[in-house]
Amino acid sequence: MKRENIIDIVDKNYRNNGGIISILEDIQKQYSYLPAEALKIVAEKTNRSLVDIYGVATFYRAFSLKPRGKHLISVCLGTACHVRGGPVVAEEFEKQLNIKAGSTTPDREFTLETVNCLGACALGPITVVDGRYFSNVNRVKVSKIIEKARYGLDKVEIGTDQRIFPVEVSCPRCNHSLMDKSFDIDGHPSIRVTISFGDTHGWLRLSSLYGSYSIEQEYKIPLDTVLNIFCPHCHADLTGASLCPECAAPMVTMIVQGGGVVQICSRRGCKEHMLDLM
Amino acid sequence: MKRLSTVEEYNDLRRIILDEAKEEKPCIVISAGTCGQASGANDIIRIAKRYILENGLHEKISLRITGCHGLCEVEPFIMVEPAKNLYPKIKMKDVPKIIEAVIKNKVIEDLLYKEVGHNGEKPCLSILDIPYFKNQTRTILSKNESVDPIRIYDYIRHDGYSGLVKILNNPTKYGFEWIIKEVKKSGLRGRGGAGFPTGNKWEIARASGNGAAQKFIVCNADEGDPGAYMDRSLLEGNPHSIIEGLIIGGIAIGATKGVIYVRCEYPLAIKHTVIALRQARELGLLGDNILGTGISFDIEIVRGAGAFVCGEETALIKSIEGRMGEPRQRPPFPTKKGIWGYPTCINNVETLANIPVIISIGAKEFAEVGVSGNTGTKIFSLVGKIRNTGLVEVPMGIPIKEITYDIGGGSIGKAKIKAVQTGGPSGGCIPASMFDLPIDYDSLSKAGSIMGSGGMIVMDENTCMVDIAKYYMNFLKDESCGKCYTCRKGTQRMYEILEDITNGKGTFEQLDLLEELAEVVKDTTMCGLGQTAPNPVLSTLKYFRDEFIEHIKYKRCPAGVCKELIGAPCQSACPLGTEAWAYIAHIKHGDYEAAYGVIRKANPFPSVCARVCTHPCEDRCRAGTGGGQSIAIRALKRFVTDHVDPAIYKPLKVVKTGRDAPKVAVIGAGPAGLSAAHYLSLRGYKVTIFESENKPGGMLISGIPPYRLPRDVLEKEIESIIDENVTLKCNTPLGKDFNIDDLFNKKGFKAVFLAMGAHISQKLNIENEDTEHVYTSMEFLKSFHLNDKNLARGRVGVIGGGNSAIDSARVALRQKDVESVTIFYRRTRQEMPAFEEEIDATIDEKIKIELLVSPVKIHTKNGSLSGVEFIKNRLGEVDASGRRRPVPIPKSEYIAALDTLIVAIGEQPSISDVSTFGLEFADGRKIKIEKETLETNKPGIFAGGDVVTGPNTVVDAIAHGKKAAVMIDRYLSDIDLYQPISPQLPQEYIEPVEVEEELGKETRVAQPTVPVDSRIQNFKEVEMCFSVEEATKEAGRCLRCDLEFTQLKQDKKDEKESLAAGGKE
Repeated sequence: MKRENIIDIVDKNYRNNGGIISILEDIQKQYSYLPAEALKIVAEKTNRSLVDIYGVATFYRAFSLKPRGKHLISVCLGTACHVRGGPVVAEEFEKQLNIKAGSTTPDREFTLETVNCLGACALGPITVVDGRYFSNVNRVKVSKIIEKARYGLDKVEIGTDQRIFPVEVSCPRCNHSLMDKSFDIDGHPSIRVTISFGDTHGWLRLSSLYGSYSIEQEYKIPLDTVLNIFCPHCHADLTGASLCPECAAPMVTMIVQGGGVVQICSRRGCKEHMLDLM
Repeated sequence: MKRLSTVEEYNDLRRIILDEAKEEKPCIVISAGTCGQASGANDIIRIAKRYILENGLHEKISLRITGCHGLCEVEPFIMVEPAKNLYPKIKMKDVPKIIEAVIKNKVIEDLLYKEVGHNGEKPCLSILDIPYFKNQTRTILSKNESVDPIRIYDYIRHDGYSGLVKILNNPTKYGFEWIIKEVKKSGLRGRGGAGFPTGNKWEIARASGNGAAQKFIVCNADEGDPGAYMDRSLLEGNPHSIIEGLIIGGIAIGATKGVIYVRCEYPLAIKHTVIALRQARELGLLGDNILGTGISFDIEIVRGAGAFVCGEETALIKSIEGRMGEPRQRPPFPTKKGIWGYPTCINNVETLANIPVIISIGAKEFAEVGVSGNTGTKIFSLVGKIRNTGLVEVPMGIPIKEITYDIGGGSIGKAKIKAVQTGGPSGGCIPASMFDLPIDYDSLSKAGSIMGSGGMIVMDENTCMVDIAKYYMNFLKDESCGKCYTCRKGTQRMYEILEDITNGKGTFEQLDLLEELAEVVKDTTMCGLGQTAPNPVLSTLKYFRDEFIEHIKYKRCPAGVCKELIGAPCQSACPLGTEAWAYIAHIKHGDYEAAYGVIRKANPFPSVCARVCTHPCEDRCRAGTGGGQSIAIRALKRFVTDHVDPAIYKPLKVVKTGRDAPKVAVIGAGPAGLSAAHYLSLRGYKVTIFESENKPGGMLISGIPPYRLPRDVLEKEIESIIDENVTLKCNTPLGKDFNIDDLFNKKGFKAVFLAMGAHISQKLNIENEDTEHVYTSMEFLKSFHLNDKNLARGRVGVIGGGNSAIDSARVALRQKDVESVTIFYRRTRQEMPAFEEEIDATIDEKIKIELLVSPVKIHTKNGSLSGVEFIKNRLGEVDASGRRRPVPIPKSEYIAALDTLIVAIGEQPSISDVSTFGLEFADGRKIKIEKETLETNKPGIFAGGDVVTGPNTVVDAIAHGKKAAVMIDRYLSDIDLYQPISPQLPQEYIEPVEVEEELGKETRVAQPTVPVDSRIQNFKEVEMCFSVEEATKEAGRCLRCDLEFTQLKQDKKDEKESLAAGGKE
């Protein structure tokens, strides 16, 4: 945990006394829990007593003072899920992971928690794993969900998964193709752009498969860096007007051959993207 | 996006947007709210985009991604515009097919939504034909269909921001006074639950804190009520409408700052709101100097962090300020003193969504929907045990039953709907008998519930109301902020009492204490959470007290939910308490004799029940209720009884008094009478059974056809019961040859058990019913089963939908002079009371079933039956039985030509034989008994089986007989009949066999049957026995619910033994 990092988060969210909850949420988002050290820094920077901050951190259900696992499993126990068998699902997760709800497996792979209502009541019982919703969960589905989570919910079989498909893109200003036939990623020509961050300039190649996040880079780009991305032909800045709804970094716009626009987040590590047909 | 700086610029932009929209290409709409995404909508979207891109179809079709439309049950789905075809629950592979069809202006009928109708399924062409949508008034929700929530132009195209622009365009005419007046006139009440008039709140907020440097308006989207999610759906699906409502509200009360407080559990709502706020700001509709009018107003999002109490307005304010969300005393109300001490007006999401509507269409038109005092529409989330789950929007004031039945489509399976819960943890349960109640703020609170935010959770017979009360109390004790002692400790204590009750440790004193506590918590807490916390307890106690009593007094959970009372569900579901888990475990071990022992110990009719039992065990089996298929328990029982010689079992005899044992008379040699005789004989009593027919067996022999229950099987089992203590006298009807008084006075019997069954067929009471060839079902079946007479000939009609109708039809089909058989039933297949598998077999055997018809008149020719005149019905309102009432359609009469008519519309007990002995009756036609002891009002006379319950199952009759034996024994031994009751939990530990397959993954092994062609000509048994492999496999699927109760004890025992063994070494 870096002190500067926490201070950044405080500075970003703190305004006229408010924003404590947002600060803690952002810290938890990064560290998966609220480290004691971080709470001290928050108290110091916001001029509030540590007990005040601790009070907030323990009052709300969303915060955890203990480190959490790689995967977070939330079993909904809202009323609709309850009458349709939510407690049985929670029990089955407890049994299969061999932990009680509210705790983490010793290998730090899974944290299991129950939540009051996730608002998808029509499809209960609901379970959310790493942000992915599973509906109509029952005892039988539990082991499959754990298996999938362990494997990685975002992982896709490139080549066989029909949800993954190649797109050809071009620069929205000069209309030059951005495809690089001499450099394949995922078995398809890659998309080539030039980038800069800080004092570094270089190339970046992205997989042209919509749904794959594979990239090749000239220089190592630290996670969370917001990149400036340019067309390698006309050197136009590809950054569009809109911001990423997840992380507020600028979105980068490219034209899709065949009629469409694809936008991707310019922040390294953020997977936000959007494909609009025109 | 260019920032617009005048209203004219906005109007120009709007014109351009509307012109663009004029191109007429079909559009496929995919709903991708949280529920859609949970069901795989994102995959569908991917495939659609891929197909359109790769095939260059942009010119021919467009695609719109929207929020939730409401019918979450059928997601993921595609709706096609403009035809409004709905393709529900589609797979990825369907997408290209649908796109191609849309381009060619065609419809794929197979994939369309189908209404489950009277005669099977009927495809609905447009969503407007679907009852779920047809019966709603979707003022607010319908916009979710037309708007892509992340595109502000979409919202503008559909009249979005027109309310705001109307105000901005003419600020002198439409100033804040006008807005407040209009909202007051509309009668809009807060949709968050309390129903405070919104216009009044705004008026107070406007007047409040004159000269205050700042005012706030807050959108409360902390939708913590579990089971309600309309706010999420609105924020996700149409965030601009909420933003527009907030801006208008801001102008009305004079605030320049808005806050949307939304729970962190709603990531997609947050995302869409963030995007919408950015777009509105970029376009100049939000922020400084909106559209150049000089009005400034901005909105920020504050995320909640998971605390139910923050929905309470003073707690919400503290949470926005970044503190613990503890409520504070009111007054001062937030409108006086809110965020950072400034006047703050807090409105619910749905309230704000109604504001643009009111401003655009005017208060008058708005108030025309709904009823006086409760105007407009309300969105409910209809969830739980109901067929169509989702969001429904209806005018206020319609009866609950319109929502649950007309829109919701009634219950999912055969289990009846018992109640709806409204208002979440602050609300209460309303029983099905009160479904005529109009749904508005005032009626609901009079009934002991509240409107709340609109959660409507449907509960059926498999929902335990004590468990529900416990669930809410558990929720509330966790969510109580702890500030008020009575709330903190009171909810805790109430929870503990409810837990005791569900564990079988509850007492009636505790029940009184629970009620007292509930009142105290209500009276002595500060905020809404505490004051309403007792509602779930008080309302369940008010309407479902009998369930509490069942738990406390009889240690029974009728819904089969409370674990500590249920033990293994199969065992507790069996009226005889058969340890199904135990014999299934023995089968897996290959120990069939042990398995037989388990079955026989509980039941003197193993082979009979292995064939005709209604298997309540399977209905409750966790392998089935947990999402898979239940274990084929009855078929496994059949396997055991077919493989083991009954002689291996020697029943335990408790001979009491030897030769001078008291004599007991049993009237009726049906399953109840025979079982009573058997267990009395084991206790040493001399029993005489008096039977009116020529053979023993009661309904088993006279009603159930031999293809279901072979006669040799039945006879063998009856024979084994008639032992040296039992005398059977056939052809000896009560009332004719002897009467009850004689039994006591002249024949020396000390006790009598009445078990005459229910053999009197009901009549249609229509013209010509006494014509030749018209029979009642019992008359028809008995003639065949007892006297071998074939009464059916030619074209046979059977009227009725119960088991005796099905039996009559299948027996008639097998008789030699029969041409065809048709069943006529007045409702639909869904409502048929006959067993599902029997109806299936009937259809397999090509017996026709005509649904929704009622007989009007019997036609005759030369004094003999020629046909029956029927009238067609449609299904009307739901009646007391929870089924829809058939309503005749005028002038739809027709005549069915028939040669034989069998009337099978139900049986009732024959009580005329005993009517003169001073016995009391229930409903005028059943013998009245004390439920726990089976005593009638006359000392020494007990009764059981169908004669007290009306037509019922075999297993219930056997259970009554068994119980009667115990009670009569206690009566004759002068012991108190009432016994303390304790739950029957699994005791014996049977080691589980390691199975390779994953539990619950394998599907149920189907019981083999004789092919249709080789069975309809004869009366040979239809169902066949499992092979050893099949039985072993099926037994291996058992989840062994018993181990939860026996494993721990066994582990402790093992530990002790190994310790002891270790000590010796």
